Amino acid sequence: MMEDGGLRFLMEEVQYMALSFMGLVYLAKVIWFLKKPTVRDKAHLKGDPAKGAVVSLANIFMPWAMESTRTHWYFYLEFALFHLAVALTILSTFLIPFGVMEPGDPFSKVVVVAMAVGFVVGVRRLLRRITKPEIRLISSPDDYFSLALLDIFFLSGIWALGTGERTAMWVFFILTTFFLVYVPFSKISHYITYPFARWYYGVNFGGRGVIARPSRAFR
Amino acid sequence: MQDKMAVAKDMEISQASIAPKPEVAPKEGPKPAFEPQDIPKMLEILDQRMNRLLASSLAACVHCGLCTEACHYYASTKNPEFAPAYKADLLRKVYKKRYDWLGRIFPRWVGGRDLDVELAEKMYDLIFGACTVCRRCSFNCPMGVDYASIMSTARYMMAAMNRLPEGLKATIDVHLQTGNNMGITEEELIETIQWIEEELQAELEDPTFRIPLNEKGAKYFLTMNPREPKYYPLTIQAEAKILHAAKESYTISTKFWDATNYCLFTGDVANARKIAQWQAEDVERLGCEYLLAAECGHGYRSIRWEAANWLGRQPKFKVIGFQELLAQYIQEGRIKLDPSKNPHRVTYHDPCNAAKSGGILEEPRIVLRAAVEDFVELRHNRQYSYCCGGGGGALTMTEFAKRRLEAAKVKAEEIAETGAKIVATSCHNCVDQLAEINRHYKLGVEVKLLCELVADALVME
Repeated sequence: MMEDGGLRFLMEEVQYMALSFMGLVYLAKVIWFLKKPTVRDKAHLKGDPAKGAVVSLANIFMPWAMESTRTHWYFYLEFALFHLAVALTILSTFLIPFGVMEPGDPFSKVVVVAMAVGFVVGVRRLLRRITKPEIRLISSPDDYFSLALLDIFFLSGIWALGTGERTAMWVFFILTTFFLVYVPFSKISHYITYPFARWYYGVNFGGRGVIARPSRAFR
Repeated sequence: MQDKMAVAKDMEISQASIAPKPEVAPKEGPKPAFEPQDIPKMLEILDQRMNRLLASSLAACVHCGLCTEACHYYASTKNPEFAPAYKADLLRKVYKKRYDWLGRIFPRWVGGRDLDVELAEKMYDLIFGACTVCRRCSFNCPMGVDYASIMSTARYMMAAMNRLPEGLKATIDVHLQTGNNMGITEEELIETIQWIEEELQAELEDPTFRIPLNEKGAKYFLTMNPREPKYYPLTIQAEAKILHAAKESYTISTKFWDATNYCLFTGDVANARKIAQWQAEDVERLGCEYLLAAECGHGYRSIRWEAANWLGRQPKFKVIGFQELLAQYIQEGRIKLDPSKNPHRVTYHDPCNAAKSGGILEEPRIVLRAAVEDFVELRHNRQYSYCCGGGGGALTMTEFAKRRLEAAKVKAEEIAETGAKIVATSCHNCVDQLAEINRHYKLGVEVKLLCELVADALVME
């Protein structure tokens, strides 16, 4: 596999270029965002904005903290498995070119299982989006495409890591390149935007004593 | 005034059953539809309002739909158009088309769309008529989307075009013209207060009892919802009785005593600032240490949290809600209560603006555990409480009244589930809406403010 100079170029130079492009787009997005005025309560605070921000950002690891995830625990479980699969798949695109990870080794088998689970969750989420009227109503083509893209990405990863075939590696890394270039413009970039929303949510409602409530009822 | 009080007492009915009606018609009514020339101005407002909170809230939504069941409109009717993400998407579409890089080139791909008259009309119908800006969806959003900032921006984009519900506009106009939202004159207010004073002198058998007016240097500046002097004087009576029992230093201003600020519901910061400025200057004129906010959800939120943002400064006084002061009195032992005087089962409805947006979550529980014998929680409570349907100025929007009552089904079911005889709350809009729910869904409950229950349980020494 590694003797293929074209594949090596795809896995290294092309990936670095795609990654740099992605980083630049994100940087531009963050700069645009930070140029906007900030919002912070000027009133005498009841709670602790910093504690609120920490609790808000940690919310993702606390399914019990929010009614919607508490009552839809399977949805949270799916979310956790899906995103774990995404993280492991992306990690493998870094580890494979460096030779740290080889198809067929124990870690790659773990990643293949994770990608298989991620694929199943992705298909289920796609079906949910298509069949539930209230979700269909809010779905844009990008919502469907992003899910489908990740499902195809998982499939190609399973193929590549499961077999180690050269063609499979080409497909997997071409998709990785497309993924890196497309993601900053798609809904998948929520992992860059949502921490900002969560931060402001935490600062505002922490300061007002709604989340991360002060132990005394009044101050 | 005496007749009104006597009737209310004789019939032993909740004050909520005296339903207030808008009294003063606006000089110029809202216009019936958007026009194409409104669109550029609306977009200009969106550009002006684009801050980090709004931008992150518009950008972060992944359309997961976890907010859907959080909305009382959806939970009661299952209409997919009432899903919070769908309603927020009406503005998000414009954001995508105008700000999102991919959306500028391929708007349909990311759900972007130009703002036009058709979309603006849809926004009017759903953002005024199917959202009370209660923020329950935000507390259920994994991304932390602040729906209130989206809705508030959209509402102001419409309000600035004079396209807003007539009743809401009338309420604001009257406030701006007269200093309070029901056009109550200084003479009327003084007459009402003096009558309440006489009533309490008789009840307390204390001819020296006074309700201090315009007293400089008092610790607390007590505000009121105009419904209180106009329709619910028993609320003022209850408040005065409690403050007397606590031997508190307080005063009522005869100038800017109105706790409300309906501009909060239109996102009109300029007029909201004007009203907040009146309130702040009046408290500062009398040199009071605290503004004591009436049990009025949006009024509390406006003066406690938003006023400093609107004014761009911290006022020279602190703000405390009547619910907070009651909890303080109970915890400090400044008032004695006999819960056996309130023997019936009581449940509590959290007003959205005081709880979700205001941080008053535990204080009402402290009060009720001390003031009533049998207190039970609603299934959804505190920041997860469903809106009763009366928030966001909805009570003034008669054109959406049918939808408002339909959306209250989930709240009615929860109240019925508790077996409570009394629904306590801490907001006049909630009181009126809960009274309507009571009639519509035949719940057979009584709706009371916290201060009324506390006044009933007071042990006078």
